[in-house]
Amino acid sequence: MTTEMNPNDILAKAESLRNSLSSGFRDEIVKSLYTEAEYIAKRAVKTTDNKRYDFDQKIDRLVTSPITGLPIMLILLALIIWLTVSGANVASDAIANILFGIGDIGRNFFNSLGFIPWWITGFIWDGVYLGLAWVISVMLPPMAIFFPAFTFLEDLGYLPRVAFNLDWMFKKTGAHGKQSLTMAMGFGCNAAGVIATRVIDSPRERLIAILTNNFVPCNGRFPTLIMLGTVFVAAGFSGFTSSVIAAGSVVGVVLIGVAFTFLMSWILSRTVLKGEASAFTLELPPYRKPNFGRILYTSLIDRTIFVLWRAMQTAAPAGALIWILANIHTGDSNLARVIADWLNPFGLLLGLDGVILLAYIIAIPANEIVVPTMMMVYMGAGMMIDGPSSSTAIYDLLVHGNGWTMLTAVNLMLFALLHNPCATTIMTIYKETKSLKWATLSVVITLGTAILVTLFTASTARLLGWV
Amino acid sequence: MSPLNWILISLLVLLIALFLPRVGLLAIFKTYREAKDRERVEDALKHLLDREQQGRHASPVSLAGTLDLPLARATQLIENMETQELLESRGNDLHLSSKGERWALHVVRAHRLWERFLADEARMPLEKVHREAQRREHTLTDAQLNDLDAALGHPTRDPHGDPIPTREGTLPKAEGMPITAWQADLPARIVHLEDEPAIAYQQILAAGLRLGQVIRILEKTQSRYLLSDGETEYKLAPAVASNVHVTALPESEILKREAVPLVELSHDQRGEIVMLDEAVQGFTRRRFLDLGLTPGTLIYPELKNFFGDPRAYRIRGTLIALRKDQAAQIWVKPV
Repeated sequence: MTTEMNPNDILAKAESLRNSLSSGFRDEIVKSLYTEAEYIAKRAVKTTDNKRYDFDQKIDRLVTSPITGLPIMLILLALIIWLTVSGANVASDAIANILFGIGDIGRNFFNSLGFIPWWITGFIWDGVYLGLAWVISVMLPPMAIFFPAFTFLEDLGYLPRVAFNLDWMFKKTGAHGKQSLTMAMGFGCNAAGVIATRVIDSPRERLIAILTNNFVPCNGRFPTLIMLGTVFVAAGFSGFTSSVIAAGSVVGVVLIGVAFTFLMSWILSRTVLKGEASAFTLELPPYRKPNFGRILYTSLIDRTIFVLWRAMQTAAPAGALIWILANIHTGDSNLARVIADWLNPFGLLLGLDGVILLAYIIAIPANEIVVPTMMMVYMGAGMMIDGPSSSTAIYDLLVHGNGWTMLTAVNLMLFALLHNPCATTIMTIYKETKSLKWATLSVVITLGTAILVTLFTASTARLLGWV
Repeated sequence: MSPLNWILISLLVLLIALFLPRVGLLAIFKTYREAKDRERVEDALKHLLDREQQGRHASPVSLAGTLDLPLARATQLIENMETQELLESRGNDLHLSSKGERWALHVVRAHRLWERFLADEARMPLEKVHREAQRREHTLTDAQLNDLDAALGHPTRDPHGDPIPTREGTLPKAEGMPITAWQADLPARIVHLEDEPAIAYQQILAAGLRLGQVIRILEKTQSRYLLSDGETEYKLAPAVASNVHVTALPESEILKREAVPLVELSHDQRGEIVMLDEAVQGFTRRRFLDLGLTPGTLIYPELKNFFGDPRAYRIRGTLIALRKDQAAQIWVKPV
């Protein structure tokens, strides 16, 4: 064609043509794409029998039926948590032995050189290095067990069925069924749980999942809960009974956390995140034979190493800070003790004490170091320590030495469950939402809940004269 | 340091906080005032345009009423806008200048595009969309509006069915007529729900009427209108009913009348998708289409949750779970 057309004419022509399109033309485009794809698939793919399909259907009936579906789900969750907690115990000790051994060697080497002042040795080996070593040894094994197990279920195709089963509860609270998956991920690590919310494609429901994820206790908080469950709740029992009761108390705390997740989702979807329950679509993929190479890669590299690396970045400065607080002396006590005494009135008001609050402030980078920090201050040590080895000795130290009551133990469990996310999780929330507002809100919601709930239980217990 | 030094330093800090360009208190106040003034001018322009589309002219009194201003302030506003050549007052009538009309159309376009965005992409409840759009319509430049328009796929109507002005500034005529003017026995489709006055709009929504619904007038008396969509009956006062605008059924609606919502398929009953409901737009519609829920596809329920909601449907060999609310928006023909 020889007629000259300038770009503006073409745009104007396109504009006028567009206005004459019928409203359904997008549907038609997608339809024609699908027709083409179907045609190609029909030529290339041959289906011979329906055996696989029938097998899938049978499993689906089993895992979504009211009688078998729920028990299967609970048993799998319990199994994974049990595997993680018990398996990690052994591995953690082994890693701790090695890493702390390296620390001893390093300290001795610095000492043997002779010209390095004590505070440099202490700062580096008892502060920064110990912080790192502690976080790695407590954090790495549970994640290295939990994430592969979780990814295994994911790869198998089972997890979407869980979301399918539980969606009715989430629908009632204005949230998305896939939030059940991000919550399950939260047991491994809340930061990973926050990242996992990417599977929820509606922004409103995704924010709800992000802001409430922290009410699921992660691996890093389990040791605190287990210690308290063993030392206090199960104290009067022995042997197998005591471990069952300890486990039961931890499960109870987890259930309280789940209840708070629903409560907070409900509140959020009626206040700041008001809106309609939006497009719920969930694909239930066919069951597949898991690919172990990929499971190990995604769970260890994408999840474990990623989270561990972020935690290490915050654990090193925390270790340094802890050492400084423990080694600056004023009179006959150290700075940590002074701050703890100063925080004590507020701590007691919440049914806790100053040392616990101090430990939680220092442990914002990583919840793994809460117990060692508390033990350090209670025992007046100069660095983080494990505390007494038997549970009766711990009981003695806390109750007789430091005025703990049953209320302190219960409230610490509640506080550990509800308090603000660790620095890694806050950072992740900020990166995922790209908003300072939501990151701040995630802290305000959780910390506010923790303070209100502990204040409530403490006041009630005092009014009723239980303590 | 002596007290005098402290006072001097405090004064200096105070001065800086007050007069710093852009972030100082005065600068912030000035920006705020300018934004408020602009909002007022734009609301006035909208009122004038609205009146002109109804075939009459705004007056200082009507303007003062709409903007909730004392008459003296409204008169001052009119004078200001006259010096900006946005309007001319002839006697008691206010006429938009061509510059004023272009600006007014810009604001209307911004408002309706925002409503589209809030309803389709942010999925805000429909009764909240208008107020939120009212807040946001004053902030976008023309270029930003064009971007928003393109991102939404050049919609032609807002969620209430009102036409959206084109980028050239032309406003397509609103199709349809009030249901009070409709022939009593033919079925009609709701094409527009007037969102002003808000009380009438609330009543329409509360009654359960929605855009795209096909209704028939069952009974028409002095005191009420009785409408039906074949299942539910809706009662409206005539004054409220005149805010429901309808048009004759297009071809596709006749298809829909033989179809049922997917949610009504019983277990293992097969259906063929006829269409996605008109009310499903934007994000949700794209999601449905991506999943292969296109017209002509075979679909049937296969799995049920303990409580019957959600259900999983087999489509094109994959299993997709939908909640009742979603399945109600997909029309199928049982086969």
